[in-house]
Amino acid sequence: MRETSFQTEASTILFGTVDLERRLRFGNVAGEDRAHIEGVKDTVLDHLDEHLAAFFDHLAQYEEAQGLLRRADMMDEAKRLEREHIIAMVGGAYGHDYFEQRFRLGQLYNRAQLDFALFMGAFHSQMSSIGRRIMARFPKDSGKAFLHFTSFKKVAFFDLGIIVDAMMTDREQTILRQQEAIRELSTPALQVRDRLLILPIIGLLDSYRAKQLTDGLLQAIRAHRAKVVVMDLTGVATVDSKVANHLIQTVAAARLMGATAIVTGLSADVAQSLVTLGVDLSKLSTIGDLQGGIEEAEQILGLSTVRIDRSPSTVV
Amino acid sequence: MAVPVLKQGDVLIASIQSALTDHDLLQLKDELAEKVGRFRSRGVIIDVTALDVMDSFATRTLRGLAATTRLRGAETVVVGIQPDVAMALVELGLTLDGVATALDLEEGLEVLANLTEAHHRGR
Repeated sequence: MRETSFQTEASTILFGTVDLERRLRFGNVAGEDRAHIEGVKDTVLDHLDEHLAAFFDHLAQYEEAQGLLRRADMMDEAKRLEREHIIAMVGGAYGHDYFEQRFRLGQLYNRAQLDFALFMGAFHSQMSSIGRRIMARFPKDSGKAFLHFTSFKKVAFFDLGIIVDAMMTDREQTILRQQEAIRELSTPALQVRDRLLILPIIGLLDSYRAKQLTDGLLQAIRAHRAKVVVMDLTGVATVDSKVANHLIQTVAAARLMGATAIVTGLSADVAQSLVTLGVDLSKLSTIGDLQGGIEEAEQILGLSTVRIDRSPSTVV
Repeated sequence: MAVPVLKQGDVLIASIQSALTDHDLLQLKDELAEKVGRFRSRGVIIDVTALDVMDSFATRTLRGLAATTRLRGAETVVVGIQPDVAMALVELGLTLDGVATALDLEEGLEVLANLTEAHHRGR
């Protein structure tokens, strides 16, 4: 479901009407080119299977293309789309459908993890195959043949632009989705005693996540009426000056809400690098490990943990 | 809009109900400085729960207010700063140094009790 909505969205962004016209202009596809293409239309279509074979035979030589070639369903679709591709190239209508089709092709190759350079090679093979037929069409006038092929090539390059964009957009969206997933791995504020919160921080802290963490913490202070917060950084491998400043800000904001924040679990490396960076941490109260932090917090809250004496006689 | 100041035992409670102009703030500061002496109060609580925005002037006035009442023998606690306000203040570098803060009125009274107790022990 989600996949489809992403696709439609992307194709709308990339291929709005304005963008179509802009691309055609950039490709310098003029009226005479359309006439040239119309002129070689039959030449190209008569040997359609040969051109398709040039593309897929090129791929078949390489181990890297097996991801695509071994998947029957993907291959069927790829063959169908490539066929439509060539037919549409000489069809003369470069409208929205034309773009959609190339976009789908780009996405398909991306999903098949087709190597980019390999795709370019295969595309070139196909172009050569078509070029040979066009040259053969004008055996006595190579200049004319060249002009016709150039017109055809313009459209081909214009197509390449779309396919490359589709592949890149698809990849970017994968990255975006992954980033979103990482962000959704929230940093929970856990209540362990009455009015005592623990905030375990794990992984890389960037500005975005640090801000989210601070917001969450302040809301949690309010919701749980927390008086003490222990922020545990055991799971944080590196802290730079930006993140350190964020921590200082968080502690200051917590104080404004009437809560004391304790930072625990700074590793030796992190401590060293903070000192080397010259970050002023005098406003933070830091304690070695989480246990120490909780003990300190309990002291602030006036709690104490007592071991219950379970002598054998009292055990039932 | 003027801020109502309530007297509860030896504590003065100023409960801010709506956004304040600079003039209102100064008026509040003068009023509290005067009332602390008149009622021989030991503590002042300023409840800012209703405020969505606090600017540099407000924080400066609150700092000044806390320092003034301290000179007159009363500790000041600011209570009810909203999470968003707290974050904004910190980002602007306005950290209310020297002013005690607490989550809400109840907490504020407790903080005040501790502060004044320490104060008396110190004497």
